[in-house]
Amino acid sequence: MSMSSAAALLDRLGRPGDVRLGVAHPEAVPRLATGLPALDVALGGGIPRGRITELAGPRSAGRTGLAAAVAASATRAGETIAWVDAEDALDPAAVAAAGIALARLLWVRPRGVADALRAAEILLGAGGFGLVLLDTDSVSADSGKRAWPRLARAAERTRSALLVVARRRAAGTFAALGLELGARRVRWTGGPGRLVLLEGIEASLTVARSRLGKLGQSLVVRQACA
Amino acid sequence: MPRIACLLVPDLPVAAACRATPELTGLPFALSEGTGPHARVVAASPAARARGVQPGRHSLAQARALAADLVVRPRDPTVERSALQALAHVAASLASRIEPVADGAVFLDAQGATHLVESEAALATALVARAARVGLAARAGIGTSMTVARLAAARATDGTLVVPAGTECGFLAPLPLTCLAPPADLLATLERWGVRRLGDLARLPIAEVAARLGPPGAMLVRRARGEDERPLAPVSLAGLVEEGISLEYPLDNLEPLLFVLRGMIERALARLGLEGIGCARLGLTLRLDDRRRDERLLALAAPTRDVRTILTCLRVDLEARPPSAAIEHVTLTAHPERVRAAQLGLFHPAGPSPERLATTLARLAALCGTERVGTPAVVDSHRPGAAAVAPFVLPGARGLPEQRAPESGGRLVVRAFRPPRPVEVFCDRDRPDFLRGEGLGGRVVAVAGPWRLVGEWWSESPFARDYYDLELSDGGLYRCYREQAAGQWFVDGVYD
Repeated sequence: MSMSSAAALLDRLGRPGDVRLGVAHPEAVPRLATGLPALDVALGGGIPRGRITELAGPRSAGRTGLAAAVAASATRAGETIAWVDAEDALDPAAVAAAGIALARLLWVRPRGVADALRAAEILLGAGGFGLVLLDTDSVSADSGKRAWPRLARAAERTRSALLVVARRRAAGTFAALGLELGARRVRWTGGPGRLVLLEGIEASLTVARSRLGKLGQSLVVRQACA
Repeated sequence: MPRIACLLVPDLPVAAACRATPELTGLPFALSEGTGPHARVVAASPAARARGVQPGRHSLAQARALAADLVVRPRDPTVERSALQALAHVAASLASRIEPVADGAVFLDAQGATHLVESEAALATALVARAARVGLAARAGIGTSMTVARLAAARATDGTLVVPAGTECGFLAPLPLTCLAPPADLLATLERWGVRRLGDLARLPIAEVAARLGPPGAMLVRRARGEDERPLAPVSLAGLVEEGISLEYPLDNLEPLLFVLRGMIERALARLGLEGIGCARLGLTLRLDDRRRDERLLALAAPTRDVRTILTCLRVDLEARPPSAAIEHVTLTAHPERVRAAQLGLFHPAGPSPERLATTLARLAALCGTERVGTPAVVDSHRPGAAAVAPFVLPGARGLPEQRAPESGGRLVVRAFRPPRPVEVFCDRDRPDFLRGEGLGGRVVAVAGPWRLVGEWWSESPFARDYYDLELSDGGLYRCYREQAAGQWFVDGVYD
């Protein structure tokens, strides 16, 4: 090999000791589509797999409906999913109407937050579940203090997406994505002298935390009554 | 020419005791029968024999005099039966035609296992290795008859011995007569004749021996030639795997009982593992010291071989329904079932593996309760909020109907309150105006309804309700109803 060709090869591969800044390509995190096109665009394809995503909001802000939409999208894609229902609040008829294939849904009803966190850890550790949904109103930063690192590790190892649905965000730095549902408007049809029906709600959704994308994006989520 | 294998545990009572209580391994211990001064030693470990203890000859007092550090345990037929069953399971995992014998030997048709192993030596090695997995130190021998196979197993110094076809006479000839365990008078007569080896006996004409010693003598000559009295008599094993143990003293505490149960579960699952199957249900029979029996059957969410999961299920059940008295004897019965298989699709996500899923379901059931883990099922009822749980089974890749395309927006979903919360409602001109109840309450901002629902009038629990959708000043959007009969108000869900 001539000196010039050796120099060309070194130029191409990089010389020993060369450190090129700003050219590292982080590994792309696979995403699980939410089923809501606008939200998928805002999140860069959906919620991240192998990470913790939090969906928080007050009562009747539509967080269960949004979670059901993500779950429905996952089962449509052929994923097997698990719903850890600490409040025993899942209504099979309602989630089936939201598009979830019940045959692909494992419904776990633990008694209390501690058991719910443990159940989520077992499910994440098992692998093969595309989405594990932890639905609990009572979880707090303190109650899950020791569980969040374990859940994050288990999710990362098995590439399952963990979606935590709660009143407030509690996973802190262990969550890769935090979504918050805020101001809400209830839509009714009809009026005085006419039949009044609940039509649905509109709520604002904000990306309150994101380690993988842009922060602060906001959009309006509309949910219709069955 | 048939080929028979023999899997032999040389001293079954001692091996069974070591299997049930691994701490005894290596210790000088003896198994006794009878009580008080009549107690006799019926089996002794090699360490006890080295100290001069002779089973069948010494009483317990004499044995203790010979070895001061002798550990004595009462002989437990249950433990021996479990060990023999485990040995039979080992044989059954490699052959379809097997015959267990009560003294710790199992014969199997070696020709039926040729498609599983490459050679007879490999078969013998596999048998010994699998026996070790269920906690038994066994030896394996292979020959043209049960007699040859058993003698080969008994003389397998390194664990296995294969006597090739056509070399039986050479193998048997140098062996002493005592290895066939002839009756004492017959042995004495033969020794008077100068017949001390099997080769000497095999050379004698059968008719002449039969004329002098009768049928037992003729039978002994045939066995010395490597011929069997009868062909292999295969038996079919019961599907259940049973492990039992008699406790030294009655247990009245959960922790020591779980310690005993852990060992039994490990042994039972090791037997199931030989065939790659899981435990679907677990029977536990406890004999109590008030002469009663406590029988329970635990249905696991899915077949599993995870010891911790099954132990947790047992712990939960025993804590929920503790036995009424101390426990003297424990029998564990594992009901085997194939771990569910799933057909994977080329273009679909793989999903959880059946084995891992089974263990996961069992662990979740142990954590939450069996009835709280499964697939949600929509009940054939018009009663709002009616729900049921069905066992979770992995759907195949093509097992589901085509799902409809997503709607442009999401769907508002009801979160159920189970049971419905009773609330107090103040009405203004028959319209709800103010509502208060546990964890919710406020002025009614907007209302829709009522919708009358009447159903199941043909059953014992009919319902007739007026439903309302209420938006309260606390921010909640609730589904409420009023019982028509009692006029009571309930909130049974919140839109979320």
